[in-house]
Formats: sequence, structure tokens, C-alpha cells
Amino acid sequence: MNQADLSKLVSALRIAVKPKPRPLSCPEGPAGRLRKLRATVTALVKYERIELYYPRAEEAQGYAERLISDAIRNGDCHKHTMEMADYWLNEKQLVHKLFKVLVPRYQNYNSSFSRLVLGPNSYPGYFAGTAILELKGNPFPALQPETHNYHYWLHNVLLDEAKKEFRSAREERNAGTTESVTAES
Amino acid sequence: MLRRAVLQTFRQGLAQSFFKRYAVSLTETTVTHQPIETSNEAGERSVPTQKTGDESRNTVVVAPPEFRFMYPEFLPDPAMETRNRLREKLERMDMLQRRSVIEIPEFYTGSIMAVTVADANSPNKFARFVGICIQRGGSGLRAWFILRNVVDKQGVEILYEMYCPLIQKIEVLRLERRLDESLLYLRDALPEYSTFPLDMEPERRLNNSVVPINPLKVKLRPRPWLERWERQNLQGVEDLNLPQRFYDKAEKVAKPWEKYDLMLHYRKTIPAEEQEKIFAEVHSQLQQQELKRKLRRRRGPDNEQ
Repeated sequence: MNQADLSKLVSALRIAVKPKPRPLSCPEGPAGRLRKLRATVTALVKYERIELYYPRAEEAQGYAERLISDAIRNGDCHKHTMEMADYWLNEKQLVHKLFKVLVPRYQNYNSSFSRLVLGPNSYPGYFAGTAILELKGNPFPALQPETHNYHYWLHNVLLDEAKKEFRSAREERNAGTTESVTAES
Repeated sequence: MLRRAVLQTFRQGLAQSFFKRYAVSLTETTVTHQPIETSNEAGERSVPTQKTGDESRNTVVVAPPEFRFMYPEFLPDPAMETRNRLREKLERMDMLQRRSVIEIPEFYTGSIMAVTVADANSPNKFARFVGICIQRGGSGLRAWFILRNVVDKQGVEILYEMYCPLIQKIEVLRLERRLDESLLYLRDALPEYSTFPLDMEPERRLNNSVVPINPLKVKLRPRPWLERWERQNLQGVEDLNLPQRFYDKAEKVAKPWEKYDLMLHYRKTIPAEEQEKIFAEVHSQLQQQELKRKLRRRRGPDNEQ
């Protein structure tokens, strides 16, 4: 049983966070893991849509969301947030982009700031598949088609009514023929 | 203004002894604790808005931000695998019920406290112990703290579970904070830093709004020590004066990247929105209990007359 750490206030992330982090093995060990994820987070903030392998994408998504949520909560005058932004973004112009572009964009979001979509896999293979990690509100065309509820569109309403009419007419005809049969017998 | 000092990281020393839920025992133990960092935070926030009878306005009860430091055991254990919202809610209800029966005062690591426990084997059925709080931990009904004192040249530590029904009274004799969140190094310090008179009287606070931080730097005994204090970035300890090879090895073994590991911090804490929700739930009841106690204290001397 451990007490929660009280030193920092963090915003709740709106993505599914796994209980344990992935090791992401590399020769330098845990320091190398963060170095790799730094490159991924920098690329995500720079290009706003990147294609990479799924395990690294999932880990980087958590760090990107944490960075943006801290920037929104604390702003750029907060020393700790600026230190984190300076560490996680290898290109310093992206620190400006984070606070000047991404923070206003996501200020009033009630959902997560990024989207992780599974990408194409080369078949056959036993490795984790590709994934596309993108920041929401990016200027590119959408990856997945927009889902609409077509039920109440006019042509569907008319078609549904036509089907109901046809069925009820058929039932009347069937009822008519059975009555005439019973009457005859 | 509350100041938070930079805290140390340390590893588990001796194995943690297990206690029955309602028993209190006399051992020298170390207990596991997560590494903690602090930062200077602006504690200024608006005054908590009280719920009004007017239902048309959506007013929300908000507890003051200091609540998370005064009542840290109300926050659940952040480990995701063991979280259970229903159990946490029931525990909070039980904690409030216990707090309505006995006063569990605000205290921090470094405060000197006196605890009276019901003890069937002692001559007057109560056992009172005075000591300095060197560590506190646990969450919910299993929240605990360790008091340390030196009695007849023997160092004694007792782990008390705050919500144990055997506890009759918890008094804070001196409310103050130290430069570190864990004072386990007092075990390797000179005994005068852990000695407090068993008949100590409660001290009156000059300023009720601010908890003073005692900037005392403790002198350690010569090595061997129970833990490698040079690896733990302790603020409340005088210069250790060790040979350079200790500091070199500490640098080699250190994990400086953990300072930047955002997800590690996230998994070790409860998000702010959830904290607000929890304290909004318990805030009004805690305030009511405080008020009742204050009234009882004021009426106390009048009743005696």
C-alpha cells in the first residue's frame, strides 16, 4: 500500500493507460528508452501524423498527452513544465509550437488530444503491427471515414415506410386468401 | 506560505514486518516508500464555494487545495491493478465515521506526537508513547505513521495505524515540518536528534495558518549506516564527508532520466480531477467535525466552571 505522490498535480489523461510501462529494449537500457520516445514525441509534434510500430506508438502517445495536458494546466511560465517541454522536444521551435499552437487548439477538448489507429501489416509475420499516431485537429484528410447516423435521412425514411407498406399489403393478401379457403371448405 | 523542500529517494532497507490490522508493535523497522519530488507550487486558489440551497445555479463544493497535504490517506493507492472504486468509497465512509469518534489531527513528518493506545497488559490499561513522526504512508483505513524516540538510551520506533480502534488519543505536541518527507536517517543520527521527553507538553502555535518548516540539519554517526544516505539527496542532513568513491558510485548508479519520465509520475499519483472529486465528497463532513470540536473546546472550560 503506497500513498499517492502529492508533489505535482497532473491532469487526468483521456486515453487508456496500461498499469505497467513497456521496456522498449535498447543497448542503453532505460535511458535509451526515453531517448527513443523523445524522438517519437518530437516527430509527432512536428509532423502531427506519423506511422510507426504499435508498441512504441502506444508508449509515445502517453508521453505526448502528458506533455500537452501539463502545458494546458500550467502554461509556459511554469518552470517544471518548461523543463519537461525542453527535454521532450528535441527541436526548440516545437516548444513554441506546443505552447502557442497546440495549447489553444486543445484548451477546451473533453477528449484525448491524439488518436492511435492500427495500420497495415505485412503478412505473414509474428511482429507487432504498424500504427498511425496523429494529433487531433491536424490539417490532413481523415484516416477513417466519418460515421454518421443515416437512419433519419429522408431517403431511408421513405424506403422504410415503403417496406412497411409492402409487408402490410402482403399480409392482407395472405389473410384474404386464407379466409376465402376456409369459407370454401 | 507552505514551502516544499526537495525530497530524497531511497530503497527498501530491512524487510517490512507485517502487523495485524489492530495490533501495535515495538520494532525497529523500515518500510517501503515511493520516491518523491516536490516543486514550488502556488497554493493560491479561490475560496471554496459552498453549496447553496439555490438549485438553479450549478454550484460545486470544492475543497481547499491544502486538503491533499492534510488528509493524504483519503487518496487511494495509485497502483491501477488494485483499484476498486466501490471499496475506496466504503473506506472513506468508514474513515469519516472513525474521525467523528476520535480526533485525528493534522500532522506531518517531523511533528512530535503522543499516542495513547488501549493495552490490556499494562497496569493502567493505557500505553502512551511520545515520539517524532519519521514516516507516514498507507492509504484508506490502513494509513500508518511511525513515531521514534530514544528511551533509556534505546531507540524505539512504533508504527501506529491511524484508524485502529485501539487508539484512544492522538495529540500533536509540536506541529512542524522538516526538510525531508522521510526522516529514516534519524536511525543513523546522533541520539539527541531523536530524544524527546515522554512528559512533553503540547506547544502552542504562534501562527495557525502556516505550518513552520524546521531547517534543522542533523549530524550522522560515523559509518556503517543502515542505508546509503549519500545516494538519497537528503536536505536535512549535514555534509556526510565521505571519500569521493562513494559519490562516484552514487553517480554511476543514479537514474537521472526518471526526473523526466512523465508516465512514471502519472502512474504514481492520482489525477487532480479525481482528487478534487474525492475531497469534495469528504470536505463538508470533515469541516463539520472540525467545527464541533472547536465548539466543544470552547465550551470545555465553561462547563468545568
